[in-house]
Amino acid sequence: MADPKPGVTVASRLTSAEAEALALQSGLREMGVRPPFAHYVRGVWSRRSFIWNLASSRAYVRNQGSYLGQAWTVLRPILDAATMIIIFGFIFHSSAPGIENRAAFILIGSFAYTLFQQIVMAGIGSIQGDLQLIRSHQFPRAVVPLAAVMTDAVLFGPIMVAMVILVVLTGFLPDMGGPVMPHWSWLLLPVAAALLTMFSAGGALFFARIGARTPDIANVVPFLLSLGRFASGATFSIAGLTGAHSWFRPLVLHQPVQIYLELFRSVFGNEPNVPMTGALWLQAIAWAVGIFAVGFLFFWGAEETYGRD
Amino acid sequence: MTDDIDYEIDASDLPKRAERRPLGSPSVVVDDVHITYRVFGARRGGTAQTKTPLLNRAINVGRPDTGPITEVRAVRGVSFVAHHGESIGIVGTNGSGKSTLLRAIAGLHPPTKGRVFVSGEPALLGVNAALLPRLTGERNITVGGLALGLSAREVRERTAAVAEFAELGDFLYLPMSSYSSGMGSRLRFAISTMQTPDILMIDEALATGDASFRKKSTARIEEIRDSAGTVFFVSHSLGSVRAMCTRVLWLDKGVLVADGDVDEVCDAYDDFVKGRTNASAGAKLR
Repeated sequence: MADPKPGVTVASRLTSAEAEALALQSGLREMGVRPPFAHYVRGVWSRRSFIWNLASSRAYVRNQGSYLGQAWTVLRPILDAATMIIIFGFIFHSSAPGIENRAAFILIGSFAYTLFQQIVMAGIGSIQGDLQLIRSHQFPRAVVPLAAVMTDAVLFGPIMVAMVILVVLTGFLPDMGGPVMPHWSWLLLPVAAALLTMFSAGGALFFARIGARTPDIANVVPFLLSLGRFASGATFSIAGLTGAHSWFRPLVLHQPVQIYLELFRSVFGNEPNVPMTGALWLQAIAWAVGIFAVGFLFFWGAEETYGRD
Repeated sequence: MTDDIDYEIDASDLPKRAERRPLGSPSVVVDDVHITYRVFGARRGGTAQTKTPLLNRAINVGRPDTGPITEVRAVRGVSFVAHHGESIGIVGTNGSGKSTLLRAIAGLHPPTKGRVFVSGEPALLGVNAALLPRLTGERNITVGGLALGLSAREVRERTAAVAEFAELGDFLYLPMSSYSSGMGSRLRFAISTMQTPDILMIDEALATGDASFRKKSTARIEEIRDSAGTVFFVSHSLGSVRAMCTRVLWLDKGVLVADGDVDEVCDAYDDFVKGRTNASAGAKLR
């Protein structure tokens, strides 16, 4: 403890009860407490241009410092998908029973799952990564993980264009069921991407709270995500390969990430066995809204603690 | 954290001595605030002996080179009431918790224990606002202004004025990583004075840039001070504290040891610092 200093005065201290009474009487607001939920939502909404600016700035600087720069945004998922196509499309010949164009099937699954994975990982480190920003300005903290989500959503724009081009190109590969014809439903691709982004944002907000206090989670989640990649059938047909009577079959077929991958594939409309149905869209919307709400509420629950260390 | 460098301000740069205004209603009530930092690892052979809880020892099995999770108690039980119309200086040796206390009042660093009540939106004016080094100065003005809570239109309207105040010239369109440290802190200062708050907190901001910029920034701070309700001012320069403030809080190792009239406390602090060569040395953890 500090040593007493000679010849100085300390003004008389109030007790906690007196301090609270004085604050209430003068109409002061308590700092560092969680605002009511409705108030908080309005606060985040009013900061939407902050979220957008932060996200687009981050997207711009993401790949600086390499010769190819921004091209890596698109090249990385392409290389990822190419690896999976070589293994699951050519080496494991029967990875997708009932699917004609295995290459397109794997490509779409791999790209869509990468969006989910990137957004969740961006959420985990967001509070720790932006501690400096959090400690110099006062704003609803959900801005930080949401901006991280938005960065990856923005970067998915060019990735989506690459995905469409590559799917068309897979039609020229041998033994893949012939050319892929453009279809009106391709226009729904951005909607499907928006729903998957919203769903993933819920996960990002959820893990952002955990990661803020326990950075160790960033070492655990990659394993969950790679388990998820296989449990969702990103690179093979999970409906075709799981045993018809196994107890986990309904589980893996109705889990949300699998539903989104199915939705992406159905939007391309080139596989007769993956039809686009209203039920698929309804499930995708319900999961997006539900998980986003859960993640947002969970994040808000610790609002007053972010920035503390 | 601020760079705690002992800047001594030229007498000519000092602002006009703050006149004493009659005290208004309370604007800040700080009640028994404690702030504790967690530091992972990197403590072995400290001077203070501690009993390590079993859980901590279990957690640390995986990293034999570093010590346990150490708690640094930066602020310990500070209480005071500030009123409208007061300019309050905060003095203390390096690491005494001045900046941390300021952040707690601004709502940027939630207190571990205790409560802080304020009127209006407090704003911390610092030279260490977070900026994105790989973006241009112009882009940083936009992001910084939005972080301060301005609307996108207000930011657009004020961007030109901020750029002019920071005197960056064509460097405005280059990434901030290419700036000299003086240019960087000029831009930070210009960004953080974009709006005039009700409670203003100044953290060493007077020592920014070269002599001509210092004159300009002092004038800007005076302008803000005159319209703000309450001003908090952290500085190592007792000259500027005496000039800017009417009341002084003296923190020592996180404890409020003096709270009173500016001249009385400044004299005592001056004697204390001059009287010993190791005033800031020897802070013991826990």
